Amino acid sequence: MAKLSPVTGHYVDMKVQGDALRVFFLENGSGRPLVCQHTAGCHNHQWRYLLEDDDITSNYRVIAYDLARHGKSDPPRNRDWWKEEYRLTTDYFTDFILSFCDALDLEKPIFMGCSFGGNETLQLAYRKPDRFAGLIAVEGADYSPGYYLPWWHHPHANAAQVCASGVWDLMAPMSPDRDRWATWFYYAQGSEAFEGDLYYYSVDHDLRGHLDKIDTSRCPLVMLTGEYDYLTTPDDSRRTANQIRGAEFIEMKKIGHFPMSENYPVFKTYLQQALDIVESRLGEARKAAD
Amino acid sequence: MGSKALQQWAHEFRELSNSDPELRAHGRYFSCSYLLDSGEHRVVVQMYKGRVDDIVIDPGPLDEHYQFAIRASPDTWRKFAQKEPPPMYHGLWSATFRSGMRLEGDLLPLMQNLRCITRQMELLRETGAPVSSGRS
Repeated sequence: MAKLSPVTGHYVDMKVQGDALRVFFLENGSGRPLVCQHTAGCHNHQWRYLLEDDDITSNYRVIAYDLARHGKSDPPRNRDWWKEEYRLTTDYFTDFILSFCDALDLEKPIFMGCSFGGNETLQLAYRKPDRFAGLIAVEGADYSPGYYLPWWHHPHANAAQVCASGVWDLMAPMSPDRDRWATWFYYAQGSEAFEGDLYYYSVDHDLRGHLDKIDTSRCPLVMLTGEYDYLTTPDDSRRTANQIRGAEFIEMKKIGHFPMSENYPVFKTYLQQALDIVESRLGEARKAAD
Repeated sequence: MGSKALQQWAHEFRELSNSDPELRAHGRYFSCSYLLDSGEHRVVVQMYKGRVDDIVIDPGPLDEHYQFAIRASPDTWRKFAQKEPPPMYHGLWSATFRSGMRLEGDLLPLMQNLRCITRQMELLRETGAPVSSGRS
């Protein structure tokens, strides 16, 4: 028999704001849960390398789920979702993540989200810091307008290709072709949800004026942003981090908006720095408590 | 850029486009015309079924037929066409969002052919851009 990957997949049933959801997730490893959110209009294969990285999975239980309507997580089973325009909101996104962690009995996981997931990570820091041991916002900022565009669903264009090629130069040109094209391929699968996700990304998510209320002593926060990200630029993330007391920001060189998927070896060096910062803060908090 | 150099650029861009594996594989319906405008020069590229049908350099006043235009300063075009372009100059979207590139005209054919246009613009990293000192 051929060698099987150690990564396993499961479905879990849960409720979010009355929606009956069957959510798919991949996982591998043991230790503190590290819960991973993919980017808008995509799915959990973006975390494929992290899920099989022994250096990380030897210390963390890496869990990468598909948000409802993405990948193998279907739209709500108990609602006529096809009669509504899909628009993701901050309240729903937050409730989804908390329900998922509850469904798996995850206590104090580290949460890491990218792009709209990075923005949502900042929302968790603002709204629910006590539920998490650490937060890693990848390609996140307080506000990211300008990407909720009519082109994603224009009936005269090929939505799959517009979404996939529309995000192409969010990636760095030096990232390996093979992984950039895998990411393109995932995007060609997610066009139906992409626009509604971007309603959250560019419209509903707005933490301007609230960043000073984020308390990183309750939950450490690290932000990572790639220099080739033209949507949430390093300056956007730096500006955001500078307004959050105790937040750490690291600019990632020669990488773009989908770092874990477009060039994992480069991303890994920064992820390890982020995890080291989180662990160090947790260690300090434990010492202070003793 | 002199007219001889522009003609040479057009020749290289046409050859590279017509022999490119991605455009050959996916360009069956790639038919449209667009303008590359640097202020220094205007170049109309006419595509038909994935192949360059014609390249018109600095067309006359009544001879400028195109559906959409990609306009940028010579400096932006030069950076865009580097082998390893710097951040925010590395694609149509990034340069439009952050580096002063402008997409004008009827953007529907651009979106309908986005996969092939994106690829074809990356060929400028091989040929250089049609501006002075455009070759990286």
